[in-house]
Amino acid sequence: MFSYDKMLQYPVRIKNPNPKYAQIIASQYGGPDGELGASLRYLSQRFSMPYPELKGLLTDVGTEELGHLEMIGTIMFQLTRNLSYDEIKRSGFDTYFVDHTTGVYPTAASGFPYTAASMQSKGDLIADLTEDLAAEQKARVTYDNILRLVDDPDVREPIKFLREREIVHFQRFGEGLRLATERLDSKNFYVCNPGFDDNCGCACAQ
Amino acid sequence: MNKRDAAMKKLQAAKFALLEWHLYLDTHPEDLEAIAAYKRLEAKYNVLLGEFEEQYGAVNWLSAPGVAWFKSPWPWDSEVCD
Repeated sequence: MFSYDKMLQYPVRIKNPNPKYAQIIASQYGGPDGELGASLRYLSQRFSMPYPELKGLLTDVGTEELGHLEMIGTIMFQLTRNLSYDEIKRSGFDTYFVDHTTGVYPTAASGFPYTAASMQSKGDLIADLTEDLAAEQKARVTYDNILRLVDDPDVREPIKFLREREIVHFQRFGEGLRLATERLDSKNFYVCNPGFDDNCGCACAQ
Repeated sequence: MNKRDAAMKKLQAAKFALLEWHLYLDTHPEDLEAIAAYKRLEAKYNVLLGEFEEQYGAVNWLSAPGVAWFKSPWPWDSEVCD
């Protein structure tokens, strides 16, 4: 089960509101490569993942992503405090404001609401871990793009931290994929699926 | 029910009682009787958790990293390997 710690993984203290930034950064809350999709992807893939260290990896990364979701929500919240109507209209935040006021809602920056269609849980360890490697890179690029558009150091610092975590997760998933293939038939990794087929490696704790 | 499942059920019941009081205290934060009940149950839970982890391996991720963490089965695995 899950329990909550009343602390952020990395501090967020934004002095100057900026609704334009909030609208851009919203994509890492509910966009195609955002933290909500990331945590749901890993926490869902765990169930069919056969090996204990890979279940552990997906659990730990999926849980950390929930902490990242909280950081992005905090950034959005702090960027949208004390806004004037004029700021809302000039910044283009008005299209978000009309539906959500300044509530934090999972949507892509384009306005497309959160959809699980941008993630997979395939029930096959090679497919899932390969998807996870791509997902971390896509999130890393999104953070790089945010850093191209945002000047405020109060916003950049937590975003830079989150970007670095994508790189660390990519590294760990790469190691996870290596651990997975080491347990499979070295002549043909695809001869059976240990998440589905019987007698395809031990699915039990070692 | 095997011994581990029986011990886990006790732990689940104790934690659920804590959660239920915590939830109640969200809307009744100054209920001293409820706070006292919470503290009694918290002490009981901590004893149960210590006993369980000693016998069957880590429940909390902070309790054990690495090999020690993998000793205990994952909660969705119905078969427990020896």
